[in-house]
Amino acid sequence: MTGGNFSPPRGNSPPPLAGEGPGLPAHASGASAPSERLRRSGGGTQGYYDYPVVRRPVWTWEVPAYFWLGGLGAGAFVTASLAQTFGSADDRRIAADGFYVAAAALLPCAPLLIGDLGRPDRFHHMLRIFKPLSPMNLGAWTLTGLTPLAFARGASHAADTGLLHGPLRAIAQLVPRRLTEVLGSFLSLTLAGYSGVLLGATNVPLWAKSKLLGGVFMASALSSGSAAVSLQAARRGAPEATLHRLATLESAASLGEMAILTGYLVQSGKAARPLTTGRFAPAFWLGAVFAGGLLPLLLHGVARRGHSRTVRSLSTAAAMCSMIGSLALRWSIFEAGKDSSEDQSASFDLSKA
Amino acid sequence: MIDGYKRLMNLEEPPPPKKAKGFFTDTSLCIGCKACEVACKQWNQLPADGFAITGNSYDNTGHLGATTWRHVQFIEQAKANGSRQEQRWLMMSDVCKHCANAACLEACPTGALVRTEFDTVYVQQDICNGCGFCVPACPFGVIDRAPKESTFEVGTAHKCTLCYDRLKDDMTPACAKSCPTASIQFGDVEELQQRARQRLGELKARGESTARLYGMPEGHEAAEVGPLHAFFLLLDKPKAYNLPEVPRLPRKTMAERYGWSAAVGLGFAMVAALVFRGGRQ
Repeated sequence: MTGGNFSPPRGNSPPPLAGEGPGLPAHASGASAPSERLRRSGGGTQGYYDYPVVRRPVWTWEVPAYFWLGGLGAGAFVTASLAQTFGSADDRRIAADGFYVAAAALLPCAPLLIGDLGRPDRFHHMLRIFKPLSPMNLGAWTLTGLTPLAFARGASHAADTGLLHGPLRAIAQLVPRRLTEVLGSFLSLTLAGYSGVLLGATNVPLWAKSKLLGGVFMASALSSGSAAVSLQAARRGAPEATLHRLATLESAASLGEMAILTGYLVQSGKAARPLTTGRFAPAFWLGAVFAGGLLPLLLHGVARRGHSRTVRSLSTAAAMCSMIGSLALRWSIFEAGKDSSEDQSASFDLSKA
Repeated sequence: MIDGYKRLMNLEEPPPPKKAKGFFTDTSLCIGCKACEVACKQWNQLPADGFAITGNSYDNTGHLGATTWRHVQFIEQAKANGSRQEQRWLMMSDVCKHCANAACLEACPTGALVRTEFDTVYVQQDICNGCGFCVPACPFGVIDRAPKESTFEVGTAHKCTLCYDRLKDDMTPACAKSCPTASIQFGDVEELQQRARQRLGELKARGESTARLYGMPEGHEAAEVGPLHAFFLLLDKPKAYNLPEVPRLPRKTMAERYGWSAAVGLGFAMVAALVFRGGRQ
């Protein structure tokens, strides 16, 4: 009993009988690590039976729903604000509806965030300290700051367009527009950008292996947010030139999203298997990649050559695909991450010396 | 004004720091009696986890969790020796490592997770709001959230407290007190580290060539999470005990992750500025 090449534990299968020879010679030599194959065949693993190294995240559907809506609202706010600064009179008027979109999307975020807590009655404990080192704390503060700003800017837009009357209108016109846009855009980019970093700041292989997840979620937020603005623009009957500019912006965001997503998948390598081949693969490939990225690009490409009526319906379809794809992206990466946490060999790979 | 703020926020002066306390778990002495598991459950009034049979040796506990703060592993190993087969059993009582740089503590958004005067990591049950972020942050899979429907402190995060209440009264933690073979040793971390080095020397001299320490300041497992205040003497590679080679501290890569987010955001803003400007002509 002095060291030597003992083989690791053998899962639920009974130990080999005496005389049967070594249990797992190739495995015990440590030269290769065919743990995946052995695990599936019920044999030994590199570790302690097939127990996971890290705990399975306890979060439920509220979290991806919040990331999606928060990202969409933030993306819409940024798009609307940038149009106010740089756009033509038409662009400014049309894109300002993005402030309504932002307010509407951000409204359910706080309830979703609170609903996922183990003790929802203690949500305010998030705000008893300011600790930006914790992405969770940073996100709670950002959402708390952004939601009222989005409502304030939405109210001032409503006052401008005559939707508000009387004293409400007078109050809404007091909102400093430019300041709200600048502060709100800063908070929006934080809200859109922190969610992927939060998931990355764990030891779940699918979320943590690549450092690009924050960028992926940011790109998805901006493409779905700008899509929501152009959906509203098409509904309101915006001039074709404005629709075209919004479509260009959307396509740029979708292209960026596909590029960084590719980088994320390449960097993740084997750790991405629960996403690319697991039970969430259809939602990921069909929902996030095809409907959320490739299809909108295709539709916008066709729309460039079409007549004005087809342009409107094509850009509406593209925007809806982009928004649904964004939800599929958050949901599939979130759920597949929970499965990834139980992947013992991926955890060992993440913590390699 | 600061005094007024402290009164308003009910802030107390933290207790003065004391010598760091911890566990040295010497797995070469463990006999798998599970007295530590039972003593921990009794002292901390943790409910039973059910009576499932895993089929994995004598380990029917499985893993650490919200209501299991000590867990004895039973590792069955075999090697060929001519036509015969030698078997050995490794036993190890796993516990929260009380890392010097604790991922759970850094992740905590409420400040519920704190470092005590004994340099241990502790969850304040009246502060934790059960956000669950500490659960996947821990590289060892230690801390867990109690289910929303349970008989035990509902919906908050739990893990070993190193018997904080007992330490306050100069008592030994329940698991170490109950260990019949001194496999679990409690004391000042510095002194325990000395003892561990000496014990490793003894075992190596006896021919235990694969024995090693896990969680010492000089080990590469301390590269990110720092020395473990509950550290181990192992008889095989860390992986055999489901321990990561280099436990990762999420903070180390966070700036880079935010950097990619920011790059995408700025890229979008620039494209948007160009596109909208194009419409002004």
